Amino acid sequence: MDQSLQIAAAPPTRRRQISDSTIQRLFIMPTLLLLILWNVFPLFYSLFLSFTRYSHSGKLPPVWIGTANYDALLSDPKVWLNFAITGRYALLAVLFQAIVGFGLALLLRGKFKGNGLLTTLILIPMMLSPVIVGMFWRLIFNPLTGIFNYLIGFWNPATAPIWLKDNALVSVVIVDVWMWSPFVMLLCLSGLKAIPDYLYEAAAIDRASPWRQFWRITLPSVAPLLLLAVLFRTIEALKAFDQVMGLTGGGPGNATETVSVSLYRMVFQGQARTGTASALAYIVLVVTIGISNVYIWYLNRMKEA
Amino acid sequence: MAEIELRQVEKKFGEAWAVRPMDLTIQSGEFVALLGPSGCGKTTTLRMISGLEAVTGGRIYIDGKDVTWLTASQRDIAFVFQFFALYPQMTVRQNIAFPLESQGMKRAEMDHRIDEVVKMLEIGHLLKRKPAALSGGDKQRVALARSLVRKPACFLMDEPLGALDAEFREAMRAEIKRLHLAQHATSVYVTHDQVEAMAMGDRIVVMSNAVVQQVGMPSQVYHNPANLFVANFIGSPGMNLVAGKYADGVVHLDGGSAYPVPDGWKPVLSTALRSDDVIVGFRPEAAQVGEAGALSGVVYTSDLHGAYTMLHASLEGEAGRNVEDKIVHIRAPREVAHTMGARICFDLAPDMVRFFDPKTEAALAREVRS
Amino acid sequence: MASDVSAKRTFAETGPSSPVVESVRVDQVTPRAKTGMTVRLLLAILVAFIMLIPVTWMAMTAFKSRPDATASPPKVFFAPSLDGFIGLFTNRTQLSAGALATEQERTDLNFWEKQALARGMRILGPSKFVNQLQNSSIIALTSTFLAVTLGLLAAYAFSRYDIPGKGDWLFFILSTRMLPPVVVTIPIFLMYRVLGLYDTHIGMILLYTVFNLSFSVWLLKGFIDEIPIEYEEAALVDGYSRLQAFRKIVLPQCVTGIAATAVFCLIFAWNEYAFALMLTSEKARTAPPAIPSNLGVGGIEWHVIAAGSLLFLIPVVIVTFALRKHLLRGVTFGAIRQ
Repeated sequence: MDQSLQIAAAPPTRRRQISDSTIQRLFIMPTLLLLILWNVFPLFYSLFLSFTRYSHSGKLPPVWIGTANYDALLSDPKVWLNFAITGRYALLAVLFQAIVGFGLALLLRGKFKGNGLLTTLILIPMMLSPVIVGMFWRLIFNPLTGIFNYLIGFWNPATAPIWLKDNALVSVVIVDVWMWSPFVMLLCLSGLKAIPDYLYEAAAIDRASPWRQFWRITLPSVAPLLLLAVLFRTIEALKAFDQVMGLTGGGPGNATETVSVSLYRMVFQGQARTGTASALAYIVLVVTIGISNVYIWYLNRMKEA
Repeated sequence: MAEIELRQVEKKFGEAWAVRPMDLTIQSGEFVALLGPSGCGKTTTLRMISGLEAVTGGRIYIDGKDVTWLTASQRDIAFVFQFFALYPQMTVRQNIAFPLESQGMKRAEMDHRIDEVVKMLEIGHLLKRKPAALSGGDKQRVALARSLVRKPACFLMDEPLGALDAEFREAMRAEIKRLHLAQHATSVYVTHDQVEAMAMGDRIVVMSNAVVQQVGMPSQVYHNPANLFVANFIGSPGMNLVAGKYADGVVHLDGGSAYPVPDGWKPVLSTALRSDDVIVGFRPEAAQVGEAGALSGVVYTSDLHGAYTMLHASLEGEAGRNVEDKIVHIRAPREVAHTMGARICFDLAPDMVRFFDPKTEAALAREVRS
Repeated sequence: MASDVSAKRTFAETGPSSPVVESVRVDQVTPRAKTGMTVRLLLAILVAFIMLIPVTWMAMTAFKSRPDATASPPKVFFAPSLDGFIGLFTNRTQLSAGALATEQERTDLNFWEKQALARGMRILGPSKFVNQLQNSSIIALTSTFLAVTLGLLAAYAFSRYDIPGKGDWLFFILSTRMLPPVVVTIPIFLMYRVLGLYDTHIGMILLYTVFNLSFSVWLLKGFIDEIPIEYEEAALVDGYSRLQAFRKIVLPQCVTGIAATAVFCLIFAWNEYAFALMLTSEKARTAPPAIPSNLGVGGIEWHVIAAGSLLFLIPVVIVTFALRKHLLRGVTFGAIRQ
């Protein structure tokens, strides 16, 4: 042992100690149990439904149709459009969230007066309900009643961009970045604060420039948490629903119809094609699993190193 | 190789003193140990020399240049941290190369220097590993290598062996001293372990409570402690300090026994003491146990050290009254009886006795300068 | 810049303008460092300001009258009114011209009723908002507590032990979040109907706990992984049991992680909309599905929605602000010595 730790407490009492394996089971069981119970049924039921023709609002029971749903979906150009939109949205949103969030963390890591207050204030966007965020940004983007154009100087309704019509996807990305950069920021801040000061002291004595210190010490130390934040945001972005619905409802037309919105329309509007929706959801699941695996593989490689 | 000079260097945290104004000159090539208990200011002093701590007042000179307000990067120093401070995501070789890369050194020369240092510290087999996979001793070796590779003017070390197991410490002590000599470096070494400081230092700076207590060579600090703190802190066990009252050439120790003062000290005690309170100090080896002796005591416990026995005795007064809380440590030859309760008599070697003024806590000088 | 160089040169000679009485490095008191800090502060204030504009706008809208809320061009200066809040907390009805006249003759109206009358409405009674707030509180707090506690235990076990199939279990835990909620709601709805959990607090608590668990296990494991295992090993050698080592060493060091996880879980459960909409109706309905559905006569009552959103935001802000010392605390391993 390299370091003998001085624990300022009374000497430990020798009781019969619980074995390691019991602790393992005790600590993990409740979590796994809950997760299995709540997920097994939905997962399997949805899987089952995906192979059927079914409408939950109709009277008929599910009818087995094999892979017909999947075939129909994968050959439907609209579905591919939805995926393209979702992909583009996820990519842009997560990329900018990561940049802004990390930048904010770097900005706020220092010791200065009002740091705690400012950081809490910047966290506020994340604390709102996504659907409400969507609704209010709809108001804000409104060319007539909203302050977005007003503030950035385009106050001429005739020439100002109509955000939600002309640049719908960009608008959604802007709202997402606004809302979730604080999330990335908070995780990165935790990581940044865990870097011991003496590493920077050693680097200063080694005459490393600030850029070198950032590149060789800061970034590698924060990378795992940053990647974790990006992983979670990607998963959320791929199934984003609340704020997209609140902001554009998927419109105009199909411009911001992400897969989740499309699912919603499938299930709750029109023909209530629950079976098809389940199949589409499973395709999303597979895609998400694939992308997550890439992240996790990268995370593990970082940790091993 | 450079001289370090501190002129009236001080550090405060708010209103509290961390280091009271101190003057210190460290000669080029010297190995100076900053010694003291936790919180005495030794680490703060080291950090001020390095630039990792900004001084509240005073000036610091390295190699004649005023470096007080130069940043750590701008000073020609290397620093070895207690917790190694190795860059976790780099391999050992990359760690060692880091300071050279930061200076933009050419590849060939860099490789040459790294090989040199790796050979010196015998860490060639660790080059591809990351710090997390190393033992404490190896980590410190790598940290030393990293500091050596730049060939700086001064080496500043902050309790580098504090985080290592005891068995490694002695070997590493010798290695560090050897490196210091081979590099002809100027080294400042912070430690709370007086054995370490005594073994390694050319000179020792003893500090306590933000104040420098004494600066001197190990022998000086050991044989002629400047005050009670140094007397007690240095040596294991520390110097025996017994209070008493001086009158007519005899110190009447608390507990009743009378100690006749050696002739050379009589004039000093007559003039230098303010009152008749005095403290007599003697190290365990100063006691000469024999058939008869001016002082006597009752053995409380004893430790067999093989070559000698360390007796812990309580001083006995005239009427045989035990002063149980006044335990003195006496080094006795192994033949001496060491059963509990046995009575022993001892004298103090006249040239090894010291006297202290209880009020000022300072040692009384042997010659009174007129 | 010449002035910059000469400023530094004189700094090297004279030092800072006032004595340094805190623990800082020399390169943190140079003029350059000081300017850097000021720039940082200003930039941070600017960013905070920009980020909060939409929220401030929403807060202002909460205090606007109905026409002001949707005025064009948008009104930055306006006469404040409490209409939004009245609309939030009460059920009202629009009065016809005749009823209005009768109403205006009454003398026993309180402050709120007078306000409503000024808009031509009569208060029928309290709305369900307070009840919904209560439900939100109970459900969010309980599920957060469960998610953090269970997640912490599981994260510790996954981090310190070599459990067979660990990677697979962890991935399974993560995957529970991957399905789009729209699709999950139908099976869960069926499940809840059968189990009698529809429109119950327990049902929502368990659901949110499950969703938060996947996040909390991963995040807390990330934090625990960063704690060097040597400390616990040293404690075990000293005779402590695993549980004691967990309690005395690991817990204090992952306070930051626990605080961050708790805040995130709380925010998720507090603001959750889709499931709350589908799985509750009268008894356990939380606020998020209710607030946006404030449709009055003539369309969306933005000022009421703003009022509701503002009120709903405040508890979360308070909790986060209260936890900020733990959230933003640095974890300093090197400082664990005598």
